[in-house]
Amino acid sequence: MNNITLHNTLPAVFAGRGDTGSEIWLRDVTFEKGKRYLISAESGTGKSSLCSYIYGYRTDYSGCFAFDGRNIKQLTVAEWCQVRTHHIAYLAQDMRLFAELTAMENIMLKNSITNYKTKQQIITMMEQLGIGEKVDSPVAKLSIGQQQRVAIVRTLCQPCDFILLDEPVSHLDDVNNSIVAQMVTKEAETLGAGIISTSVGNNVRINVDKEFKL
Amino acid sequence: MSKANKDNTCKALMWKLLRKHISPSQLVGFSVASLIGLTIVILAVQFHQDVRPVFNDEESFIRKDYLIITRKVSTVGTFLGSNNEFSPKAIADIEAQPWCRKVGKFSSNDYSLYATLAMGGTGQSMGTMMFFESIPTEFIDVKDSDWKFDPSRPEVPVIMSRDYLSLYNFGFAASRGLPQISEGIVSKVPIQFTLRGNGNNETLKGRIVGFSNRLNTIVVPDEFMRWSNQRYGSGVERNPSRLIVEVNSPGDVKMQKYFDEHGYQVAGDKMQQGKAQYFLNLIVTIVIIVGIIISLLSFFVLMLSIYLLLQKNTKKLQDLLLLGYSPSQVSKTYINMVMAINAVVLVVAIIIMLLARASYMPMLKALGTTGGTVIIAIVVAVIIMLLITTGNIVAIKRKINSLWIHSA
Repeated sequence: MNNITLHNTLPAVFAGRGDTGSEIWLRDVTFEKGKRYLISAESGTGKSSLCSYIYGYRTDYSGCFAFDGRNIKQLTVAEWCQVRTHHIAYLAQDMRLFAELTAMENIMLKNSITNYKTKQQIITMMEQLGIGEKVDSPVAKLSIGQQQRVAIVRTLCQPCDFILLDEPVSHLDDVNNSIVAQMVTKEAETLGAGIISTSVGNNVRINVDKEFKL
Repeated sequence: MSKANKDNTCKALMWKLLRKHISPSQLVGFSVASLIGLTIVILAVQFHQDVRPVFNDEESFIRKDYLIITRKVSTVGTFLGSNNEFSPKAIADIEAQPWCRKVGKFSSNDYSLYATLAMGGTGQSMGTMMFFESIPTEFIDVKDSDWKFDPSRPEVPVIMSRDYLSLYNFGFAASRGLPQISEGIVSKVPIQFTLRGNGNNETLKGRIVGFSNRLNTIVVPDEFMRWSNQRYGSGVERNPSRLIVEVNSPGDVKMQKYFDEHGYQVAGDKMQQGKAQYFLNLIVTIVIIVGIIISLLSFFVLMLSIYLLLQKNTKKLQDLLLLGYSPSQVSKTYINMVMAINAVVLVVAIIIMLLARASYMPMLKALGTTGGTVIIAIVVAVIIMLLITTGNIVAIKRKINSLWIHSA
């Protein structure tokens, strides 16, 4: 997948509001593979909706999203599974971890369908993010910040063309923010992938090619 | 880590995740209900299979819708010397009845008859006075080549009542310590019939071509009877004392009433048997319907249980789909669970059915049947379980597919 394009898109809940002044909604926008984008937004402007549309689990919008020119509403379930395991690595704002599983089990749940990282690589990444000793702790017992780091490692356990991050560092301090930025950038460089990150203020410290105001 | 190991890890993690909210009591409830339903259905099917031979004559040469009627023999009649024959008028009246298709007369031998049975190899033989009867060939369904008489090469084919053989086997042979003999052996024993009358005397070879439960007599071809009566008989025409009647339905109430009014008796209780078989079918059908209703209810219990489970695990299932798991991968955990439960129910139901069968079979054996095949009941069980499992799988898949798109 080389690009993600948005053509005149608007969440259904915003219908009839006229021009919202957004640089995303009701515009033609293209995200290219290999480039880095920041989408800064105020709360309630449809940031998570944008991610859920691109990731294909909500369709309550007008306009058209396309992968390499193909309307994503035409994608089959099998194609979406392929997108989610090989083309777009997604970190949801609410992380969507499984509370009853340990940190490692959560990550392995993703890694066992992509077969992308070795267990050792995963442990190394967790250690870099300062949660090396939490490998076997149930996620329910981790702090929000720790959970966010587990979710970031899980996101990176797959090959991809785009890394889609919804407020990736909202619960992290400056040190961890930098480590995450470095880790994500390195992964994207290795794969030649693009990065699309959203933020309500606490930006992940990545040098971006373009910033959009939502 | 190898791919197989990863798959196992994946399965183990999915199970750990998705087994939450599984209610053992609901599953036990379903299993028991399903087991009861399925067992009732297949036991009824099996029982029907086993009991049916009791009602069937297993005679190919005489059809079910033939009745043999006689007049009732009364004590007074015996002393007054009244005969038990059917007059031509009485026969015409029976033929005119709406339930009657055809009437055949029994003819008897009008000469003295002596049968000799050679006891193979011993040089000894057994002999007895006996009699023959015949009915028109159209009432007998034996291959033409077996059931004919050729005066130029006289050999007499005979159909014998099975009761005669039973009398020998279970009465005479058992009390005298003689070996019991099978129908196959008897058919091969050479018999000689000596016909005497009209100043003539002749010995003919005989051959038993079949045994009957319904013809309580010894039957020979009509053409032989005519030939022999002409040769050795007195020449006096007698009315038949027994009739064979082809009817539309052996259980007809009007027919029963007619026979009662005219003092006729039906041999072999064919009519009662028809009714008994009707009630057997009715009862088995009712039991099968009850079993199917219980099976259906248990199916809905499982469906409700699964829906509740999927409802409680909705968020987890959606999150798995977001990780890139396909709906079929996610459904697999529940489908495997349902298949395992249904397989256990199927096996246990078949075992219970076989145990129950083992306990009632001795009673049926006393009635002289060895029972039917168990294959049909097992096939029915497998088909029912396949249907139930397919229904479960379709429901699980539909429910999980419905989670694919989240509502806003």
